[in-house]
Amino acid sequence: MNELIAVSTGLLAGTITGIVPGAGVMVAMIVASPLLMSFDVLQLLLFYMSLASMVQFTGTIPAVYLGIPGETNSLPAVIEGTKFNKRKMAKLAIGICAIGSVLGSLVAVVITYGLLSVLIEHMTVFFSNATKFYLYLFIIAFCLLVYNKKNVLVNLSLCAVGFMLSVPGESDISSDLRYTFGMDDLQFGIPLIPVLIGFLIVPTIAKMFGSSNPNAFLPNIDISFCKVVKYFKKKLIASSLRGGLIGYICGFVPGVSTVLSTNASYSFEKKLHPNNPGKLLVASETANNSGQFASMLPLLLIGIPITGSEIVLYSMLVDAGWSPYQFDNVTNNADMLFKQIVPWFVFANIVGLIVAWPLARKILNLFANSKKYMIAILAVGMLLLNTYLGILDYRVWLYTVCLIVFSCIGLLIKKYETVPLVFMFILGNDMEGVFIRQMLI
Amino acid sequence: MKNILIAFGVVITVVLLFVAVSTAETPKKITIINSGKAGGSFNARTQMYKEGLTAAGYDVQYENVGKISQAVKMFKASDDPTIMVYANNQVYKQDLFHTENNFIIAEYQQPLYICRTNTSKDKTGNLTVAHGKGYDSKLLTKILGNNITLVPYKNSGAMLKGMLGGDVDMMINNQGKSFKYIASGKGSCRPSEVLPMMVATVIGTNVDLREIRKVIFDITMDIQFVEYHTSRKLTRPTGTWENELVIVQTLEKGYAVK
Repeated sequence: MNELIAVSTGLLAGTITGIVPGAGVMVAMIVASPLLMSFDVLQLLLFYMSLASMVQFTGTIPAVYLGIPGETNSLPAVIEGTKFNKRKMAKLAIGICAIGSVLGSLVAVVITYGLLSVLIEHMTVFFSNATKFYLYLFIIAFCLLVYNKKNVLVNLSLCAVGFMLSVPGESDISSDLRYTFGMDDLQFGIPLIPVLIGFLIVPTIAKMFGSSNPNAFLPNIDISFCKVVKYFKKKLIASSLRGGLIGYICGFVPGVSTVLSTNASYSFEKKLHPNNPGKLLVASETANNSGQFASMLPLLLIGIPITGSEIVLYSMLVDAGWSPYQFDNVTNNADMLFKQIVPWFVFANIVGLIVAWPLARKILNLFANSKKYMIAILAVGMLLLNTYLGILDYRVWLYTVCLIVFSCIGLLIKKYETVPLVFMFILGNDMEGVFIRQMLI
Repeated sequence: MKNILIAFGVVITVVLLFVAVSTAETPKKITIINSGKAGGSFNARTQMYKEGLTAAGYDVQYENVGKISQAVKMFKASDDPTIMVYANNQVYKQDLFHTENNFIIAEYQQPLYICRTNTSKDKTGNLTVAHGKGYDSKLLTKILGNNITLVPYKNSGAMLKGMLGGDVDMMINNQGKSFKYIASGKGSCRPSEVLPMMVATVIGTNVDLREIRKVIFDITMDIQFVEYHTSRKLTRPTGTWENELVIVQTLEKGYAVK
């Protein structure tokens, strides 16, 4: 029953998140945090899996109808999906994407099952400080070179600010307090939620407020689901499988994961079929789902988060009592993955295929008709969430001050992608410890 | 006459009822502060005490703080009957020592272990040693010699991971993590006779310490607690309240920050 609650809420959250342009899995995790605090480890994982899967399904809808990418990995869907919409074939586009997404998930599960024993056998390699050191170097390089149109200076500044925010309190290698300025509340560091709201959600709300698309919701040609399946089987299956494989491999790359999955698969397919939007769309969307599953494996098996939303999940998992670093947990984690998570993951994908399509369309209509109210509800909700979590953490004033300050800064820098800042804030302390240990060893 | 008797009977009944209600025991209120995160020993023990106190008829108010520093702050500021799970290795860092005014019980004790990898057994040069970030580096150097490089880790779990990953040659870790390391077959561990012993305690404020000690002791003799101690090979220091306090106070001096 508990599992069903987690999956259902994850599916619902994923449906809403996918169709709200600009909102991603990370934002959804933060918004849902009061609920997630009562979840145990398995429920948290199931919620996240369902949420992330559903977002892949419904994220295509604003991309195709509104031409707005739900996340950066929806860019191929925007380019190719809008071509379908202009031909009044948006329903076909969403249908083939949904089928491709299910196939992508299945491809990922099958590959993982085949490779699991190899992964477990060499798992202690991931425990070493050196592995983490090189992984962090890789993440830093990606933060510097991928975001904000590859503007290294901007990314470096964002990384520096993120790291500075992670410094107050105890460090990873010493129990001495630093930069607390005599404030008791700063002993535990700057709280996570105001940083996430201020630097991620507030700029997102500001962008949502400013966006509009007069071409949305053009009347579309109705097409039955059976016909979509038939079309998929006949024309798109090879592209979908190719996308699934490429997406799976790219899903392991820290920091960019599904973004790389979709774009690499899209680029590869474009070389093979440059003028076939259906194949291009399906290849990238299948890659998206298989990459999503692959990106979860380092976290699920050895406790290393490699995407922004996984970092948020990771901190919640640790709070819920998860001990991913213990060597005897690797096989336990693998066991949990295939016995308790994969069946629900498949279930979530099937539900996504059946339910998300019509449901998301209705919610999207609602959002389009009352956008301002929805944004106002979201903004007030964030304020209440911050206060509530501040009270629970016995640091409500610090939460409030941080929220005000970070929201103002977030608004000022809203044109930039703040992911490098958030990455460095969350991982900065651990990174510092890893780098110092690497020098000592 | 009949009416008088009936009225008298009613009055007697009401008076008896009033006396019964007023003398009935109202459950004693007590606050228990959870200072540990889910999955940790502080958290697990607090949950068991909470259940035990409720079963013993207490009206338990549960404060789920989850951070030791915050919990200590709340404990010090409390004006109500409050108890909290604690340990002697925290006293200097939290500036809250075991005294005759707050000590309730010494629940169990465990030594620190020194573990070494199989691959480093023949190594003669400089040895790398993993230790928790709160450990006294001078004491470690005194025990293990100058020919070592100390490598600090965030907590016992991170240390075990580093040891398994091949970061270091040795580690100083708690009993639970050391047993896990032994189970991996990658090295061996021995309890240290020099490093300070950790004693897990329960402390209280605004409570009758002797009275609550009896309740807490009974809870620790419950099957749930016995299983918890047995499965982790945790031994309890037996003795009187005075003896236990002396042991705890003596051992906590080993954690003094030099």
